[in-house]
Amino acid sequence: MRAFARRSPLLGIMVSLALTAGGQSGVKVEIDEVVDNRMSEGPMTGGLELRVKLSGSGLDRVTAARLLVKDARDDGGNALGKQSGPDDFTPREYNSGTLSVSLPSPKRTATAARVKGTVELFVPARDPSAVVKIDKGLAKLDAPLSAKALKAAKVSITPLSPAGYAALMKARKVTPEDIEKIRARGKAEGVPEKEIELAIGLAQAFDSMDAEPPEGTVLLSGKEGDFDRIFRVDVLGADGKPVDMTMRSTSTRGEDSIMTLQPSQPLPANAALQITLLTDKARMSVPFELNVPLP
Amino acid sequence: MKRTSILAVLTLFAIPVLAQSAKPVDVTVKHVNDRRTTGHFANLTITIELPKIHSTDVAAWRALLTSATDDSGRDLVERGDQEPQLETYQQMGMPGKDAPPEPVSLRLQLRNPERKATTVKEVTGALELYMPSKDPNSTAELPKFLSLAGKPLAHKALKANGVEIAFVTPAQIDAEKKRLGAAKRKEALAEGLEGEGLDQYIASYLENVISLEESDLAARIKDPNNRIHEIAYVDASGDVKHVSSRSNETGLTILSTWGEKPQPDWKLRVSMKTPKNLARYSFALADVNLP
Repeated sequence: MRAFARRSPLLGIMVSLALTAGGQSGVKVEIDEVVDNRMSEGPMTGGLELRVKLSGSGLDRVTAARLLVKDARDDGGNALGKQSGPDDFTPREYNSGTLSVSLPSPKRTATAARVKGTVELFVPARDPSAVVKIDKGLAKLDAPLSAKALKAAKVSITPLSPAGYAALMKARKVTPEDIEKIRARGKAEGVPEKEIELAIGLAQAFDSMDAEPPEGTVLLSGKEGDFDRIFRVDVLGADGKPVDMTMRSTSTRGEDSIMTLQPSQPLPANAALQITLLTDKARMSVPFELNVPLP
Repeated sequence: MKRTSILAVLTLFAIPVLAQSAKPVDVTVKHVNDRRTTGHFANLTITIELPKIHSTDVAAWRALLTSATDDSGRDLVERGDQEPQLETYQQMGMPGKDAPPEPVSLRLQLRNPERKATTVKEVTGALELYMPSKDPNSTAELPKFLSLAGKPLAHKALKANGVEIAFVTPAQIDAEKKRLGAAKRKEALAEGLEGEGLDQYIASYLENVISLEESDLAARIKDPNNRIHEIAYVDASGDVKHVSSRSNETGLTILSTWGEKPQPDWKLRVSMKTPKNLARYSFALADVNLP
């Protein structure tokens, strides 16, 4: 386990001790709620949903966390399968700090499950390169942001003008060729005709939802992989604090993503951008093992 | 998918009914969801389909369960103090123009079976379906009903069901307040209250007893046979505005949309339960596999 923080000497050392010592880590993972949502065969699937809470000292320095399950078995020794759903970091202020993970339901005959994995903690204070501030970040549109830390992290993000956004959206429109690709892929994978048509209908419906964003919306484009390495993007107001956003969303098509931020107030002319990166140095893993009595 | 045979079930409990005695109905199990949790909302939901009854005919329904057990013997019936009320039937999507009518699909809510159980051994009971199209006197619609305030509404369906409704005008409400205020004042005086304190007491009493929001209407409603299923407003474009009602000690019923103020071109729609439109069917499920 890495040392926690070198920059803020006393607090850093204390937190480091708290997170690295005592029961291997100082961070405990405890079950908060178990839902075994069992469904008969059909289009809907259930699963075993575990909600856990973290405890221990030093957690106040943790910005976000996520659970990564490495092995889950029922008490008959049967593997439950892989966790499903997005494994994004959850900000600590969400859901009272609890974390959730979904697994396939165990057998009905099982009475307990053993779940092993790691809880990953995101602690930006551990890495000075994790928070990148770009002055006048929205001054130069339709050109990639220029910052050493972004370059070092191999992250390329481009703020878009309305015209640049419109051009990109036009290029992203679902074409007849795209539909044929979906159909061919579905057939190759043995997906029933009805479900293929449903998927095509959904793609077309999402396509038609691409409306023009309201004035003042901050639009950022980049590769999906680049956005995956970003925890959060903030626009800093005149007071240097992040401006509240009424809406945040990211849409992805193929490898390309567009992040949309709608500020609650007009932005200052020279607003700075602050990008928080999920760097390796800012993350730490704490192993956990849970014995889960099944309801 | 299990198709169960028809079983006539004698309902052993008394139910105040309009519906005739229960006829057996074909039932197919479509889906089973056993939601087991250490938190809230634990239940077993069995979704059944009635192949011979079209969903478009059903406006509301309720299930009156007699018995339900899993193969460990656990009783799965949630037994509350009150019997379930009719609930609005939610259509599953919009059927296509030329598509055949969908069968009605209902969700039976039960307690979780034992984890070790593998089947629901039996579920028996009755399904009560409210089907307004079965009786021409199911619904009374009165256009521009606000203009009819102050006198009893006249409609053949209201009459056929013994229902009387009269919306109260602002002048009638004022008169009612005067009457109630005078009666309360007499009571309070007898108890020794007087002066400013008495006036405040009466004002507060009237505010509590008859307090109308802008979207509220007051009506006198008589429904001796408990026929009214639902009261709603319909605007000029056909949008239905759901109305909640509450009665107060003055005998007035306050109808509220909790938002929009009723407009002069709106229509009043009173949906009523009748012996013809309330059908009761007995059903039985056996050996339903648990997921």
